[in-house]
Amino acid sequence: MDNNWLLRVQNLTKIYGQATPGVLERTGPLANTNIDPKTGAVVAVSNISFDLYPGEVLGIVGESGSGKSTLVQMLYFDQEATSGEVNFKPVEDGKINLFDLSNQKKRYTRNHLMGMVYQNPRDGLNFRFSSGGNIAEKLLMANVFHVGKIRIRGTDLLTKTEVPVKRMDESPARFSGGMQQRVQIAKAIANNPPLLLLDEVTSGLDVSVQAKVLDLIRGLQQDLGISMIVVSHDLGVIRMLTDRTMVLKHGHIVEQGLTDQILQDPQHGYTQLLVSSLL
Amino acid sequence: MEKLLQIIDLQKKFELHILNEKQIDALHQVTCDVNEGEILALTGKSGSGKSTLMKCIYRTYLASSGQILYRTAQGEIIDLATANEHVVLRVRKTEMTYCSQFLQVIPRVSAMDVVASGLVARGRSMEEARSATSECFERLSLPKELWDAYPSTFSGGEQQRVNIARAMISRPRILLVDEPTASLDLKTKDAVIEMLLDLKRAGTSIILITHDEHTLTKMSDRSLHLENGRLKEVVYA
Amino acid sequence: MIENKKYKDSFNYAYIDEFTKKEIRRKTLKAVCIPGYQVPYSSPEMPISRGWGTGGLHLTLSLVGPNDVLKVIDQGSDASVNACNLRLFVQEMAKCALTFNTGEATIIQSRHRVPEEIMTEKQILVLQVPQPEPLRGVERHEAKTRMMHAEADYAKIWVTLYEAYVRSGALRSGAGHPIMVNGRYVATPSPIPSWDVPNLSMARCLYLFGAGREKRIHCIPPFTRVEPLEFEDIRFKVEEFVDIKCSASGEDKAFMDQIYDDDFNKSWVINDSNFLDKVRQGPRPPQKLFTNPE
Repeated sequence: MDNNWLLRVQNLTKIYGQATPGVLERTGPLANTNIDPKTGAVVAVSNISFDLYPGEVLGIVGESGSGKSTLVQMLYFDQEATSGEVNFKPVEDGKINLFDLSNQKKRYTRNHLMGMVYQNPRDGLNFRFSSGGNIAEKLLMANVFHVGKIRIRGTDLLTKTEVPVKRMDESPARFSGGMQQRVQIAKAIANNPPLLLLDEVTSGLDVSVQAKVLDLIRGLQQDLGISMIVVSHDLGVIRMLTDRTMVLKHGHIVEQGLTDQILQDPQHGYTQLLVSSLL
Repeated sequence: MEKLLQIIDLQKKFELHILNEKQIDALHQVTCDVNEGEILALTGKSGSGKSTLMKCIYRTYLASSGQILYRTAQGEIIDLATANEHVVLRVRKTEMTYCSQFLQVIPRVSAMDVVASGLVARGRSMEEARSATSECFERLSLPKELWDAYPSTFSGGEQQRVNIARAMISRPRILLVDEPTASLDLKTKDAVIEMLLDLKRAGTSIILITHDEHTLTKMSDRSLHLENGRLKEVVYA
Repeated sequence: MIENKKYKDSFNYAYIDEFTKKEIRRKTLKAVCIPGYQVPYSSPEMPISRGWGTGGLHLTLSLVGPNDVLKVIDQGSDASVNACNLRLFVQEMAKCALTFNTGEATIIQSRHRVPEEIMTEKQILVLQVPQPEPLRGVERHEAKTRMMHAEADYAKIWVTLYEAYVRSGALRSGAGHPIMVNGRYVATPSPIPSWDVPNLSMARCLYLFGAGREKRIHCIPPFTRVEPLEFEDIRFKVEEFVDIKCSASGEDKAFMDQIYDDDFNKSWVINDSNFLDKVRQGPRPPQKLFTNPE
């Protein structure tokens, strides 16, 4: 059972600025700050380790400055880690640290084995291409050089994400926020990646739109069985989507457990504060 | 009869850091067993710790100390109180189902889908799942026009029936059910009791919380009486 | 006034000083060794403005010797004003021979066309390139496009072909169809019509591409595989001049220009002026013709 993980993260750390000895001890939830009082370095993520199993949905919840987005951006190679190791089963059976891969292999992992949905659709989509073109980009990165197949797969994905297919050749710039997110989701799952990363995907959307997008994600997870990491500051989103949850504060994990346990029996004071603040 | 679940010295304290470190003692030194194929009832006044005990078994509550040893279908012994989250998730998915007192409403999913999706997740086809669900709803006398409606608008009794249907339809190895017959009329009560007894006959072990004398007499093989978080006595049917 | 008695001429041979010529030659050799890769070079100042063929001129002047025979064309025509100016300038600076005959030239400098006649291993074709970076349309930043070439990350340019097809039914609307050189780098063949692109692959001559304003040289060496980017189901097609014959010569199977006469009647004429002359006077020179896939 123990070796059945899909993703194993060990001692992942991100420090902006000078990393001097003792910096991790001088910052964190006990010091109540991310900033090192000695050097001014900012510790965004401090020595985080966790596993993700196939088919699981892991929630990462925290307030601003908790490091949750930085964590996920490091997994997707958008940001470089200061130190730490990430092992991913589909890559060399998990025996190699993803950060040690060559740029080309990192890009391959990003394109074929992972999907990422950003809070801002402009980060995940190219507005100069049509929505079908955005999905095509992902497929072309996977060497599908056949227009017919691209169109079929694009239509299939847009149908799955409930985007009107007749708008496939329009730029997402003309779509509403919720629909832009759905195009992002369609693009992220285009290559059937085993891992999907979702970074605050519904923050900033209208409530009814938020509900639809979350329903879509939940439905996709049930149909496709993808493992997901869902980052959110909203415990309601976490409750809806996730099996397990990690609570982050100032770059540290203060508590982790099954989602229903975190919500009904929070142990750490900060978690209790968050749960009691649920509207 | 083999022991399915062995609870040893279970203790649960709630520490409320945001209420000035207030402590609530919920369970003290609870030790008991559940045998395979039996229906065990938990009885006691409100606040005596019955739901707490059940939630500790399901791991919704983290036990403060003690052991909850569970024997899986493969014969492995797992301590549910301290096991790894992945292990607990696996057990919940394949063997153990919890039916809470109130339906935890999954928004915007119809009653039919709430129940059928559980079966689909276990590998059955949508058509099979829907027909099994329809059967279940019929037995529970859930009005047909509600089957495709959202449960958030149902009455207490209707919600409960959806809840019970969801828990029972997957035929778990062990079922934890909290007040299955409250808010139901006598006819539906009997229907639920009959369905639970059917499950028992098919091999499911059941831990049941109930206030209702009628249910208690008809169903339980043994009952454990809790008072102030302590196990007071064991009553054999 | 101090008279410069040491040097009789005011300019070095072929206008560019020897050190700069050496640098351009070295960069050209590097480009020949890495087919399709854009090599940065010094791009010295010329007596013509940027955007008027300085890149081509740099290459021509670094290669030309007194025994060379030079031909300069602009959109297929030797008689165009710019072609004439460049040709006379190089002759003045390098004292080489001149010709209009494609078969006789050793160096051909061209703007936006490849001659119809097949060229041999004794010839070098120098093309003037406005924008050497095929990815510039999808990525503004040079740092990123260099990374994309280094990692062979060409998905974005494929998307533009897909979008063009979806929008207009053709892989490309204009000239300069992107090519994959030697299976490694995506390059631009400069804005030549699709008609000319098949000539680049497995040719006997050397193709050099100079972009003066952008300061890049790239190359397609002889006998190099050059493939226009195309999809498995949507293939590259050249212009089809269906049922069209040149009004001056009566021939077809060459790249044609559409012209209007004074009565606003449309007619077609073969674009390559030397090829047109040859075809009117005598036997048809050998060409490499491409048939469009079904």
